[in-house]
Formats: sequence, C-alpha cells, structure tokens
Amino acid sequence: MSLVLDGLVKRFGSVTALDGISFAVPRGEVFGFLGANGAGKTTTMRIVLDILRPDAGTATWAGTPTTDVPRETWGYLPEERGLYPRLQVLDQLVFFASLYGIPRDVAAARGREWLARFRISDYEKRRAEELSKGNQQKVQLIAAILHEPAVLLMDEPFVGLDPVNVALLKEAFAEMRARGSTLVFSTHQMEMVEELCESVALIDKGRLVLAGSLRDVKRSTGRRVVRLAIDGKAIDGDGASELPWLASLPGVRVSRPGQDYAELDVPRDLDPERILKAALDAGERVTNFLIADPSIEEIFIERVGRAPSEDHHLAVAAPSDSATPPGAAA
Amino acid sequence: MTGRSTPPGGYAARTIPNITAVARREFMSRARTRTFRLTTALLVVAGTALALAPILFQWLEGESSGDRVEVIVGDAAPSVDVVTALGQILNSASGPSIPVGGQDTAPKFQVLAATDLAAARADVLHGSSIAALVLARAPDASGDLTFDLYSKDSALNRKVQLIRQAAISIAIQDRLTRAGVSPVDQAHLFTPPSFDVLPADPNAKPGLNPNEDPTAFLVGFGLSIAIFMAIILYGQWIAFSVAEEKNSRVMEVVLAAATPFQLLAGKVVGVGGLAILQYFIVAIPMILAIVFQGRIAALLLGGAAAASPSIAGLQFSTIAAFGVLFVLGFAIYACLYAGAASLVSRQEEINQIVAPLTFVSVAGYLVATYAGTGLIPIDSPLVVILSFVPLFSPYLMLTRLSLGTAGPVDFAVAVLLLLIAIPAVLWLAARLYRSGVLMYGQSPSPRTLWRALRAR
Repeated sequence: MSLVLDGLVKRFGSVTALDGISFAVPRGEVFGFLGANGAGKTTTMRIVLDILRPDAGTATWAGTPTTDVPRETWGYLPEERGLYPRLQVLDQLVFFASLYGIPRDVAAARGREWLARFRISDYEKRRAEELSKGNQQKVQLIAAILHEPAVLLMDEPFVGLDPVNVALLKEAFAEMRARGSTLVFSTHQMEMVEELCESVALIDKGRLVLAGSLRDVKRSTGRRVVRLAIDGKAIDGDGASELPWLASLPGVRVSRPGQDYAELDVPRDLDPERILKAALDAGERVTNFLIADPSIEEIFIERVGRAPSEDHHLAVAAPSDSATPPGAAA
Repeated sequence: MTGRSTPPGGYAARTIPNITAVARREFMSRARTRTFRLTTALLVVAGTALALAPILFQWLEGESSGDRVEVIVGDAAPSVDVVTALGQILNSASGPSIPVGGQDTAPKFQVLAATDLAAARADVLHGSSIAALVLARAPDASGDLTFDLYSKDSALNRKVQLIRQAAISIAIQDRLTRAGVSPVDQAHLFTPPSFDVLPADPNAKPGLNPNEDPTAFLVGFGLSIAIFMAIILYGQWIAFSVAEEKNSRVMEVVLAAATPFQLLAGKVVGVGGLAILQYFIVAIPMILAIVFQGRIAALLLGGAAAASPSIAGLQFSTIAAFGVLFVLGFAIYACLYAGAASLVSRQEEINQIVAPLTFVSVAGYLVATYAGTGLIPIDSPLVVILSFVPLFSPYLMLTRLSLGTAGPVDFAVAVLLLLIAIPAVLWLAARLYRSGVLMYGQSPSPRTLWRALRAR
C-alpha cells in the first residue's frame, strides 16, 4: 500500500526529463524528494497527478494506476504558486475543495478553521492579489489540504516562509501525518529533510541516484562522521600541523573545519572510538565527541556535485519566463 | 487514509460536478466584476438606441421646424404654385424612412416665398436658410423655367440634389401645363408603373423571391449578426480567461484537481451561460424597441401610431433554429478559442493565436451575408455545401432557413454534424489545453501547435 513509481521515462523533444525513475513512497510516511533544479522532480510529480503522461513506466497508488485513482486522493502544492488573483480567499478555498467533491458549506467551515490556524482569518474576504507572498502561500497550502488528501505532494513548501510560518507548516505536517496522510515534498533545505523525513529519493538529470529510508541512505555511503572539539585548539583542514595524532589515523580527514568543533569523515572500517582514544592518549582535553552518519547535504554534494542551496539560488536568479518544454521544469 | 472514502469510478464520477464547479466560478467571478456590469449597461443603451436610431434621428431633427428654403419667383410667372409644389415634393422625396405616420409628422423642409435676393442670400450665409432658389424664364424660344440655387453646400450635397430633382419636376409640370395637359392627366402621367422582380428559373422554390417576403432576408441577416457577434465577443472572453489562469499560474493547481476536459467544458459552459444572459439582457429591450417602434415614434414625433416594421419573417421555427445554432455554434468556436489560447503565455498574444479562428468566423458570416443579399446565389453549391460544414453551418444554415431554401431535414443534418463535431473539437482542444497550459515562453507557431497535439 504505497506510491510506487516504476521505470518512469518522459521525453520533451530531444530532452530526456526522466530516464527510468523507480522508487516507492511508503504509505503514511513523510518523504523527501531531492534533486537539483531540472533533475525531474516536478515532472515526476506531474506524472503522479496525471497532469503529464509518461512515455514509459507506471505510477501506482495502492496497486492502482494513478490515472485511475480519484483526484481527491492527491493534494498538490506546485512550485509555481498560483491563485485566482481577483477571487476572495475563502471563495478560492471553497472552489478548489468543490473540485474534490467537498460540499461548499463543509469547505467553508474547514477553510475558516485552517485560516485561523495559519493566523490569516482577517484575510478571508480579501482578494488573493491583496495578500503578501507568504500569506498567498499559506492560502495555497490550505487549498491543497482542505479536502484531506491521502497523499500530499508539495514542491518546495518552505520557500518564502518566515520562521514562524515554517513552524506552523511543520505543525500542519505533523497533523496530516498523524491523520495517516502520506507527505511527499521537495526542498533544498536539507535540515528540513533531516528533521521531517523518514524516507528520501535523490534524482539527478532524470535518473535515480538513491532512495530508501533516511537511515539506510546515510549508512549506504560507507562512512561515518565524528564531531570533535578539543579545548584550546582549532581543528582546521590541515589537522596534522597542530594535531599530529589525527594525521596518523588512516582514512580520517577533516570534512568541515570550525572554531567550536570540526567534522571528521571516518571510513566504515575504522572504529570511531579510536579517534577518541588517540586524542586522550595524546593528552588532549576533548570537550565534544559525537558519532553520526553523514548529513543528507553532504550526501547530496557527494552524489550530485554541488550543494542544493547553491542550485536553488541560481534558479531564483534565472528569468522566470525562460522557454521550457511543457512540464520540464525542475 | 483520511477517513473520507473516495467515490468509485475515478475521474469520470466527478465530471459533471467538476464542470459545474468550474462553470459556476467562471460565471460568478466574471458576473461580479464592475466591467461586466458596466459593459452590460452600455450595451443595453447602445442596443436600444440602435433599434430606435431612425426615430431618434428624426426626433432630434424634428426639434427644428425643418430646413428652410427661400424661393424667389420674380418675373418667371410659372404655371404651378412653386412654393407649394416644392414643399410637397421635397417632403415626400425625403420622407420618413420608416412608416411613422407620414404626413402627420413635421416636414423636413420648410419652403417660403421671398422677394429680396440679397436678403435671402444673407439668410443662407447666417444659416437660417439652407438655400435660396431663384426662378427665371429662358430668353430663348423655349421659354423654359431656369433655376439658380444659392447655397453654402456643394452641388453633390444630398439636399441640393433633392432640390434639383424637385426643380426638374416643377419644370416638367410647367411645360406640360403650357402644352395644355390638365392637372388630372399630369397626375396620371406621373403614377409609377407596376414593377416586379421575379426569378428567372421557372422551378425556383417559393421564398427565393424577396418580393414574397422582404423581411426574410433582414431576419436571416440580423440573426447571423447575432451569432457572429457572440462568437467574436464571447470567444475572446474564453481566450482571455484561459490566458489569465495561465498567467497567474493557477492552472497547474486546477489541473491537478480536474481533467483538462472538465476544465475546458466548465469554462465554455460558464462563460457561455453568462454570455447568453448578457445577450438576453441586451436583446430583450432591443426587440421590444423594434416591436413597439411605431408607438414610440408616435409618442416622440407626434401623429398617429403607425405600423411597426414587419417581423413576418421571424417565425417561431426560425427563432428555435437560431437558438440551437447559436448554442452549438458558440460551443464549437468557444472550445477552439480555449484550446488556442492555452498555447500562448501572454494576453497580448491572444489576438495572434485566435486570428485564424476569427478569420473562419468572418468568412462564414460574409458568405451568409452575400448569399442573403443575392451577391452569391443562395442555392449555389458553395453555399449549400458550406451550410452543412460545422464551422460555417451556424451562419449559412440560418440564412438558408430564413430564406426558405433549406428545410427541416437540412437543418437536422447540419445540427447532427455539429453534434458530432463538437465532441471531436472538444477532444482536440482538451489535448491542446493539456500540454498548452504548461507551456511558457514559446511563441505560438505551427511547430508549437504540432508539439502540443503530439504531447502525451
């Protein structure tokens, strides 16, 4: 009982947007869908929603092709936010809910509830064009969840929200999750993935790079991370100069130097406790020692070659009206 | 799961509710705008004014006592009362263009006798008279009347021409009187002969002869204009509505909730419903104005209420046929307008993309008009064939029906072909729409169109 993508292929003219994408989203989980701009995330979401049809492969929900699944199964927050500019906020919500079969009075009641939770009740009668971008985004999210979909697909849901609204959105996520909804979202904010996701898929240039539970994905890298701080000493990239004992450990390198603490890359075959022992043997005063898996951001950089945030900033700077084949964005 | 069960039957189960929801939004959001209310009010005023234009013109002109013409007879000694005769001829020649009580209405020309040419010319210069007519006798043996007209207008001016015609009549009357022809015989001489236009083809169907039902052409012509206006005006509404959704990027959200077919159909029904409503709001006062033109004329212009223009050609069957062809014709063009508009990103590009459709619509309308006026024979193979072709039939079948050259079977076949064509066009438009609405930045070209049609 999950969302299963099997061998999805989609071409736009000579551009292959998806090249045999396969992965499964477990039901009821929060799933992070990662990839650089143009990797094929939006195209994949559009295929699941039957906005686009694949050239090959299938997408199924609970064993049923998504083309045959009632549309109210899905809630969708696209990357390109869009509301009817001159329609009042509540009318907007009622309209979208009515497309999913929610009676108008029920939709209005639920809409008011959600507007209150997102602290924008005062804007109920305002036209969408009169709202700030952040508030428009909240209205858009409410429109996506008002019909209580079984699966919520969201393209960059946190972009443009201030910290207070990010916290509100996380609360909404938790509630949707508790109600049994499956949440799939793409983001370039890797800390959100670390915090919220149980499973992830990473795609690059239309191909699947990795997929699975967050723990398995991290373990699949074949290395671990040690966070280390030594009183009175900075651990920089050239750790050997001040800490010769560190240089003597095979395969260990400083991946992220810092004044407070540094992160060390440790090969799987090396017991991290050997680092602690070596430090203590050398008479160092260890103030912080933590064994962890590599961060999702590190894995992203390692597998894709650049940080997701860099890629996002590039995308934001690009002209919005550039020629794109249908559905080829992201 | 969320606790709310989903209805069986997938998307199809929500087709009618979703079409209704989209149609409702289109209808309400457009009807609530100030622009809609304002244009409706303006169209009502303009439409009614158009229907009453002949009366209004006459009423406005009738406020004055008419154009004054001063006549100086001098020594010409004409054998007829020139002032009276000129007044009668001018006011009957330029008489009312619609029957509004004939002689009871105020004259357009006021003819006065004068003696002083200098004063009369000064009156013309000041604008109190439009002309001064001076009579004399030719010095030659014929002794015919001669006329000099003093006016600020050119010789080609319509009023000058009317006075010239009247002067010719008076000169002929003068000659006849001098030749000894009695006034009774003169009246007989000037009675117009019977003159009928009949079809050359002895087997021509009744109705081809405009003499039999002169209003038939006007009815067909008027109803064709009504369909043409609806397609051009409201087709643009649909196109702009699609472009607006695309511009605001709301399209993707809506497409996730409803199929392109549901969206397209809802849009056509919603905008079409509002269009028909506006049409009726505008048409009803217009029709009432035409029907009661005689009474309105009597009220404004004085005199007895005269007969209103004949609407004998407006049979119930013609109105019913118009209703069917109006709805189907609008539907087929509306689908195409929506599909075409989905291919462009900016509202400025809409006119460019819908131009071929507008061209087809104009062509259908012009052929119908030419056929109705006889410039193209109404029973020519071109007109007959096109009257069954879906994009042209709304215009041509209506014209043929109103002129009596098409029967119920022809009408039924044309409607059937439209009913077959509309789902096909809807499918085509939905296909264009599905891929077109997600296209941004491409210029509308045949290649774009082809790609959109081939996209899965």
